[in-house]
Amino acid sequence: MTEQRWHRHPLPHGDGPVPTLVWLHGWGQTGASLLPLAGLLAPRSHALVFDLPGFGRTPMLAPDAGTADYADALAAEIAGKERVVLVGHSFGARIALQFAARYPTRVAALVLIAGAGLRRERSRVWRFRAYGLKTLGRLARVLDRLVGSDLHVRYRRRFGSADYRRAGALRGTFLKAVNEDLGALAQAVHVPALLIYGREDRETPPEIGARFAALMPGAELHVLEGFGHLDILGRGAYQCEHLIARFLERHAR
Amino acid sequence: MAGGGVFMTDERTVIAVIFGGRSVEHDVSILTGLQFLDALDQSRYRGLPVYVDLDGQWWTGEALRRRERYPLDAGTREALQPVTLPVGVPVRRRPVLLAPSRGLLGRRITEIPFDLMVPAIHGSHGEDGSLQGLLSFAGVPYAGCRPFGAAATMDKHVTKGILRDRGVAVLPHLLVERPGAGRFLEPDTLERMLAEQLGADPYPVIVKPRRLGSSVGVAPAADRDALMAALLAAFRLDDAALVEPMVGDLVEYNIAVMRRDGAVVTSAIERPLKARDVLDFKAKYLAGGKPAGPKLDTLPGEGMVAQSREIDPKELSAAQETLIREAAVEAFETFDLAGSVRVDFLADGGSGEIWLNEINTIPGSFAFFLWQAAATPLSFTALASHLVEEGLRLSARDRATADPRLADAQIFRRD
Repeated sequence: MTEQRWHRHPLPHGDGPVPTLVWLHGWGQTGASLLPLAGLLAPRSHALVFDLPGFGRTPMLAPDAGTADYADALAAEIAGKERVVLVGHSFGARIALQFAARYPTRVAALVLIAGAGLRRERSRVWRFRAYGLKTLGRLARVLDRLVGSDLHVRYRRRFGSADYRRAGALRGTFLKAVNEDLGALAQAVHVPALLIYGREDRETPPEIGARFAALMPGAELHVLEGFGHLDILGRGAYQCEHLIARFLERHAR
Repeated sequence: MAGGGVFMTDERTVIAVIFGGRSVEHDVSILTGLQFLDALDQSRYRGLPVYVDLDGQWWTGEALRRRERYPLDAGTREALQPVTLPVGVPVRRRPVLLAPSRGLLGRRITEIPFDLMVPAIHGSHGEDGSLQGLLSFAGVPYAGCRPFGAAATMDKHVTKGILRDRGVAVLPHLLVERPGAGRFLEPDTLERMLAEQLGADPYPVIVKPRRLGSSVGVAPAADRDALMAALLAAFRLDDAALVEPMVGDLVEYNIAVMRRDGAVVTSAIERPLKARDVLDFKAKYLAGGKPAGPKLDTLPGEGMVAQSREIDPKELSAAQETLIREAAVEAFETFDLAGSVRVDFLADGGSGEIWLNEINTIPGSFAFFLWQAAATPLSFTALASHLVEEGLRLSARDRATADPRLADAQIFRRD
């Protein structure tokens, strides 16, 4: 374990016995994406807003680190803090779930906003197309090896998702994350959990939230109308603040 | 799945938020209206955006909720419904907006019911009592000030006169009316009147249109020529203007006031960080070239993160703070105000003197950031709920006194 600390975005914090909120941002973001919302809740909490390893100003973990490795690194980063509330957005929700499963006694509650972690339910047409593309990718790789072409680079440029193309050194982490399914793990998480999803979210649609809610015994789901995957943290921050504040009153006193 | 967001039979109170409007503060008003819609507690209320364009036409539609759609292009307009508010219909009914549409059988009118209207239009035709008067007359419940308070506080001359009589510190001023057609301002007369109100050596002075808010048309003048020019500019916007002494080493302080559980309470105090000597419209709202000025948040939490204002400034003494809080409460009570009202003060940084400057009954962003930082913090969502519930209560009270039999004013027999 190196001594490298995670970069933290400073926020003022409330006086007295306030819950510690650990803020975990989404893929391709930094802690800054959470500041509007974390700022609203700052007077009633002790906020730890991090850049996750490999994002912003925090150095990356091992090249193929998975969400469980992120959770372990977080455990070291916040060593000594007990009964924290983890607030994860999108990819950050995966880390929050992993942490809650691996260190159940250290977590008071979870807040998952547009949380990822379950495979999307896709139509048969979508799955057929995905299978075809995957085969095409494999074929490109084989051809590249045989004749020294650069077909796979072009394939990625043409068919890879924007996140995948931009992942760079984090590509291993990205592939592991999008291919994992945290369903079984979520079932084992028994702490109170607040699930917030945007009705307009195309990346982590409310359908994922409904399945998480069915899996997690302590979960309550709220679907906010008029918000998508990212603006739920901006325009939607007042709604999230309201829901989180009420949730904390019930579960983090 | 508490509050699961699936509203099969939607029994939530419908809140029509009206914004935009025929005012120089049209654009700012859009931001305030959309912020309010974003903040409205979805478990209790359903927001209905109502946009008033610069021509005065009312529109509704979900596309209005997105800030990036403004100014509206032809495509967005296509997706919107023009709507009207019926006036002269029985007021006991649930209020509706009327949306004409063309069906198979010719024109038909769809009714869009709502329960309360929230005026989020700054300045003329929105904050000045006219919209409130219309809604009162039509029997539509609405949030915020009633017509009297809204109209009186829009007029700086009236506001200052009444508050001065009640012992609130305000700057002296001279009211100059626009000369009638074919007549001109008489510089010598003006100088004489100025000397009477502001003393023998009045310059530098500051000219403010009588009724416009948001620093629109406010201009400093160092001498007689500049004063004449500033007055002429002000008369293009309003038919009268106030001339006040310019405060040396000017510092501004703002505070918000509301009535909660029967008591009038005040918020945190802010000192907007000044961009220039005189805060003109751009400095106030467009600091840094983008709409995120000292008095308006485009994003939540900016008050906390971006340093466009100083909350609870340290230089204020306890006596100054008390003066600000008491004057703000006095103003709120004098004009029988409601909603979240922001009261603005001017201070002389050197002498420490403080004067009440103006009252905004529909302040930018409903001044939520001042409530957020108050001694008893109030989130924007809680503030929005308060404005809605207070509006419903006030309007129910307004409507209660309609029957002549109850008031013992019956002349014609009704059986």
